[in-house]
Amino acid sequence: MIKFDNVTKKFPLGNLALDNISFEIDDNEFLFLVGPSGAGKTTVIKLIIREMLPSAGSIFVDSEDITDKNFRQIEILRRSMGVVFQDFKILPEKNVFENIALALTVTKISNRQIKQEVEQVLSLVGLADKKLMFPLQLSAGELQRVVIARAISGKRNIILADEPTGNLDPKTTWEIMKIFKKLEGKKTILIATHNVDVVNSFKKRVISLKNGRIAKDQRKGGYEI
Amino acid sequence: MSELFKSIRRTPYQSLASLLILFFTLFLSLFFFNLTAFFYGILSYIEAKPQVTVYFQTQTSEKDIFKIRDTVVKSGKTASVKYISKEEALKIYQELNKNNPLLLEMVSADILPASLEISTKKPEHLSEIAEYLKKTAGVDEVEFQKTIVERKTSMFIFVFLVLISFMVLMTTTAFKIALKKDEIELLRLLGASILDIRKPFLSEGVFFGFCGGTFAWSIFFIIFFYLQPFLNSYLYGIPRLPFYQFSHYNLYVWPPSLYYLALVYFLTIFFGMLIGFLGNYLSTSKYIK
Repeated sequence: MIKFDNVTKKFPLGNLALDNISFEIDDNEFLFLVGPSGAGKTTVIKLIIREMLPSAGSIFVDSEDITDKNFRQIEILRRSMGVVFQDFKILPEKNVFENIALALTVTKISNRQIKQEVEQVLSLVGLADKKLMFPLQLSAGELQRVVIARAISGKRNIILADEPTGNLDPKTTWEIMKIFKKLEGKKTILIATHNVDVVNSFKKRVISLKNGRIAKDQRKGGYEI
Repeated sequence: MSELFKSIRRTPYQSLASLLILFFTLFLSLFFFNLTAFFYGILSYIEAKPQVTVYFQTQTSEKDIFKIRDTVVKSGKTASVKYISKEEALKIYQELNKNNPLLLEMVSADILPASLEISTKKPEHLSEIAEYLKKTAGVDEVEFQKTIVERKTSMFIFVFLVLISFMVLMTTTAFKIALKKDEIELLRLLGASILDIRKPFLSEGVFFGFCGGTFAWSIFFIIFFYLQPFLNSYLYGIPRLPFYQFSHYNLYVWPPSLYYLALVYFLTIFFGMLIGFLGNYLSTSKYIK
């Protein structure tokens, strides 16, 4: 379970990214976080992975307040989460297999287990035949799938995806969304997006952010611009 | 290890740059280390000999020479003073030139100067005694080993150069690691521990230190042995020079003994691995917070 309790995030220059928001996400829930650019979607994800700290309020993951955890505890917390970063964060000098394996090496599992796990997630995202290719040899859609594969690999029970279909054509967008659909009910999935079609077709819970506040929080909701 | 070689293969120019920096640092350090050890050996050899030799004019009488000797002894700054008469000087000359009869024919005791060989208690007394003797009547020439006073200076230069090399290495390693900033940042976000992040950088630093040390040592001694015939002629007459006080361990700087070469090799690779490790440790610290 993820819980935001009166969370405010104010940046040093004074701009308010989140203004006293509260919500809860249940285990294995699938939800969308929507809103225009600058609404605070990325900030929510960065707060959950403790890439930044809130200016006020508390954030709970599995009933534990993550705002007062030390480095060692944060490392363990991050190993339980898979993140699809908006800017991909793929290492160009590593091939597809190695980029995904990187996320597993930190979990201290054996090389044999890493190999098995990487091959399994690559099959799931449809890139089994491209494991030895380098990022420069892949299309935007394929790169996005590599990032998703990295995020869902291992025993990560929370998947946070920041604009996973941004800049993708409609066909690729649906292929990407099918991957998330396969994980529905098995992991907690939070997708930050402003893709109206995707959100409306899934009919899942939608939290709408506007100017750092929660504008709407609807079970089986939709997205209106 | 396979990850290390993969990383080197994929970033060959960065790796080569790191290796070359370590190589030059260690080569330079090796050069100054050997130079200092060699100078120490030479200085010990020279110190074992008289530190000040004063030659008297041929017309100066023995009585005057003994008077000067007594004055010098009374100063309390000398460890020993030895008088070499004209006859003894001739014997020394004859011994030194025994293979050159032409030179022996033309020399007699009358034209050779009598001398005093003086050793001082402290190196700083050398110039004082030398200056006094230069001003004394009947003295022809004063020779003294000025280099002994300069030992501290050579040690300072050595330490200074090693520090400069270390700083250059630190800066270039930091630059190299700056290129890995994205990887470090990503690893942090994936939940890697600080040790997990540092491990590949540290093992790379140690590996390059080992390779750089081995190359530096090999190339240094290849050049050294290539130049040895030239050095032999230049250092003619100088016996075996011990490595500081360790002659009983068969450690000789000149000509270098096998034990000395092994010691220098281990010191070079140890120093190389240490600066490779420390350089990368300090550089990664900047990005691991």
